[in-house]
Amino acid sequence: MELFIIFFSAALINNFVLSYFLGICPFIGVSNKTSSALSMGMATTFVMVITSIVSWLLWNLILVPFHIEYLQIPSFILVIASLVQFVEMVIKKVSQPLYRALGIFLPLITTNCAILGLALLASMRNYSLIESLVFGFGAGVGFTLALFIMSGIREELELTDVPLPFRGAPITLITAGLLALAFMGFAGMI
Amino acid sequence: MKKIIHIISTLTLIGVVIGAILSFVNNWATPLIELNKKKETEKAVYLVNPLGKKNEKVKANGEIFKVFDEADNLLGYSFVCEGNGFQGKIRIMVGVDKNLEKIISYEVLEQSETPGLGTKILDDPFKKQFNNLFAIPRIEWIKGKAPSKPNEVQTITGATISSVALVNIINSGLENMRKLKEKNLL
Amino acid sequence: MNKKSYSYEFVKGIWEINPIFKQILGMCPTLAVTVSVINGIAMALATTFVLVFSSFLISLIRKLIPNQVRIAAYIIIIASFVTITDLVMKAKFPEMSKSLGPFIPLIVVNCIILGRAEAFASKNNILKSLLDALGNGLGFLIGLILISSIRELLGSSSILGFKVLPNSFDPLIVMILPAGAFITFGLLMGFFNSLSLRKKESEKEKLIKKYSDKLIKSSNELVEN
Repeated sequence: MELFIIFFSAALINNFVLSYFLGICPFIGVSNKTSSALSMGMATTFVMVITSIVSWLLWNLILVPFHIEYLQIPSFILVIASLVQFVEMVIKKVSQPLYRALGIFLPLITTNCAILGLALLASMRNYSLIESLVFGFGAGVGFTLALFIMSGIREELELTDVPLPFRGAPITLITAGLLALAFMGFAGMI
Repeated sequence: MKKIIHIISTLTLIGVVIGAILSFVNNWATPLIELNKKKETEKAVYLVNPLGKKNEKVKANGEIFKVFDEADNLLGYSFVCEGNGFQGKIRIMVGVDKNLEKIISYEVLEQSETPGLGTKILDDPFKKQFNNLFAIPRIEWIKGKAPSKPNEVQTITGATISSVALVNIINSGLENMRKLKEKNLL
Repeated sequence: MNKKSYSYEFVKGIWEINPIFKQILGMCPTLAVTVSVINGIAMALATTFVLVFSSFLISLIRKLIPNQVRIAAYIIIIASFVTITDLVMKAKFPEMSKSLGPFIPLIVVNCIILGRAEAFASKNNILKSLLDALGNGLGFLIGLILISSIRELLGSSSILGFKVLPNSFDPLIVMILPAGAFITFGLLMGFFNSLSLRKKESEKEKLIKKYSDKLIKSSNELVEN
């Protein structure tokens, strides 16, 4: 039950993009086509799940026992960067179609603050390994969901007559605002 | 080969220098941070038990403090309890009298409720209801009407979940305190 | 203005390449901490601190860092300055550090800092990099103050914690919710876009007028000759 709450809270109620404002850059940048939005979402979810495990191990087995908690930020960011590189290499070797689908998005993920945010939040909340795994997966699903909905709306927006100064990022932000309002409705679920 | 050595040695050098600076700053900051935390808890201990002059940490699990007046008479207890609110964890310090019958006051230490709605649990109209509130057998909540019983509080309009969560957190914290008292651990 | 001058490196960050409205970098903190003006200012100062020191250090050792690992080196340097900021804030300004919460560590991935390091500090001398960092920090500060004052004014009817609007004004709670952040930012960005569009338009007209005048003049001369 506790795990269930963590999952839904991360995916819907405290959606990373729409209520924590994490990962806005890819949210604005890669949300103009549904197909690429889905690929980006999947790649991010994949990295998020792995990050939640690795950062938990790093935090609880190395940083805390040796009392070097102050190295948290540099070590997390380095681990995430090398992890993304590693995942990229593995996918390239294992499955070419998957690499073609996710490949170009993986380097972008390194600078996605949602990943670092996930690792920091999980260590701040003292989650157990299973809990942080579920948290990572929920956050990834929420990110994918927000990105996918947004890209659907933007595909329709392309066909409408948006005032010139509002084209691109401004109208996307305003739409995201309305989406965030809609997502508030989930808050009553728990 | 020469290049690789160059790369590795530069990165190592940066790492070592940075690590040294960080550990220096950390050594300077850690005692100050701990002092801040202690001050904050101490402040909250007396905020919820305003007549208190001295306190002593109880050796049971969790953060429970005995609060005394100047002549070392036991006035009551201040204890920290937490639970889930509307959006995230709510952590509060609660002050009770020495018989664990009356709430004196509470102070929110951590919360992430909706600004403007759920955050009203931090403010006076709602908070005042808990001053000298009877908590036997537990605190009850009522929606949309003025409280009629001595152990009742009215929930905040538009933030029922946050207010009920707060009442539940205090109730379960109080229950825990009573159990500890039965075992003579306080 | 001479594009190479030192003052230009400072001034450009305020409007011409304003990190928030023009480069659209560092949106996460922009949206998240602008609930109140004081938070916005604190965030901008912390970011500027990290930006200035990391730009300085990166510019200082830019010739020593091998090209292949420069990004990794930058990230380590930035992450360390962020940790220092975080520790100092926790030690000296505990209240502030509580309300900014997990957003101080996230300065690491604020694209402004890595962006300026890669685009400017790694190619220019120390003084220029410092000026560039200060200018960008100032531009960031102005942007955050602008957004946060709108949100605080409409959302809690106060500025810097002082009540400004009368009690009869019912605060628009949506403005301090995430949705309000997106909408305010979107509208402001659209407004600034329309300003620069208009400027471009009028410059175009001026240019057309200038050349058409010249053309008429020269054709008149031709006729006279």
